[in-house]
Amino acid sequence: MASAVEEKIKEIITGIVHCEGRALTPTTTWKDLKADSLDLVQVLVQLEETYGIEISDTDAEKLKSFGDLVAYIEGIVAAKAKAG
Amino acid sequence: MDSEFKGKVALVTGGSRGIGRAISRKFASLGADVVIDFFRNRPAAEQTAKEIEALGVRVHIVRANIGDPEKVKLLFDEVKKTFGKLDILVSNAASGVARTAMELDAQGWDWTMNINARALLFCAQEAAKLMEGRGGKIVSISSLGSQLAMGKYVAVGVSKAALEALTRYLAIELAPKNICVNAVAASAVETEALKLYTPEQKKALLWQSTPAGRIVIPEDVAGIVAFLCSDAAFMIRGQTLIVDGGVSIAPVFGLE
Repeated sequence: MASAVEEKIKEIITGIVHCEGRALTPTTTWKDLKADSLDLVQVLVQLEETYGIEISDTDAEKLKSFGDLVAYIEGIVAAKAKAG
Repeated sequence: MDSEFKGKVALVTGGSRGIGRAISRKFASLGADVVIDFFRNRPAAEQTAKEIEALGVRVHIVRANIGDPEKVKLLFDEVKKTFGKLDILVSNAASGVARTAMELDAQGWDWTMNINARALLFCAQEAAKLMEGRGGKIVSISSLGSQLAMGKYVAVGVSKAALEALTRYLAIELAPKNICVNAVAASAVETEALKLYTPEQKKALLWQSTPAGRIVIPEDVAGIVAFLCSDAAFMIRGQTLIVDGGVSIAPVFGLE
C-alpha cells in the first residue's frame, strides 16, 4: 500500500508534470514522464514547501526515479519525526 | 567611483552565479555591503559570499524564490533585520522555459513571467519601503530577447519586454522618492547558461558576429549596473541600456 508521503508526492508530480496517463511506479524516471528541468524545479519547490525542507541540487541530481524521490523524502520525514 | 558606494547596502537577486555574481562582486569591490539572494544553489551562494567577504565588506545570503510574493516579503524582512536599510536593488534573478510559442503552456508562461517580470514589481514595492526618506537605485537585468524574436525564447523574451515596461513605470512613480530605476539588456553573456552550446556553435554565433570582437562577459554588465547606480547616472530614468558589443545594430551580412 502506498504511504502518505508517496501519495502526496504523486499528487504534486501529477499536478505539475503532464503525465498523460502514464502510471507512476517506483522505477518511473523523469525521462519516462518527459519532464523538463522546469518541471523538476517546480516539483522540488512544492516538496520543499510541503515538508519544510531544503533539497540541494546535488541531492536532486541523484533522484532519478519516483522510487528514489519517495525514499529520499520518507527518509527526511522520518528523521524529522525522530528529532521531534 | 569607489567612495560613493561605501556603507551602501546592495541586494542582488540571483546574486550567486553568472551575471549576478559579477554584480555582487562589483558592488563589494566598490565598498558596498551585499545581500545575495539565491534559489537553487546554496554552495554557489556560500562560495560567492566567501569571495566577497574577502574584499572587506559585510555579506549576507538569503534563499528565496522571488517568483512567490510571500517569499519576496520574507527576503526584504531579512534585509531589514540584517542591515536596517537598502540603497541598491538589482533585480537579476531569471528563469524560463525554452519552448516555441506553439508549445508553451500556461504553467511555463506563468513561471517565467512571475520570476522575470512580476518579481521586479514586488521587489520594487518592498525596496521602496527600505529606501524611504533617503532614496536609492533599482536596476533590473533584461535581455535583447525583449526586442528580437529568438528561437524558443518567447516566454523569456515577453517577460523581459514586460520588465522593461515596468522599469519605465517604476522610474516615474518612484522619482519623487529619489529612487532611480533603470534596466540593462545584454546579448548572450558568457555564463554557465551558455554551456548548452558547443564551442564551435558559440564561436560562430557570438564571437564572430559581435562587432566589439568578443562576447559580452558578466563583468561588462556589472560595470554598467554600477554606473547606473552611481551619482553620474542620476538623470537617466526608466531606460534600458543595451550592452551587446554592437550585436543588435550590426548588419547581418557585414559592411564590406
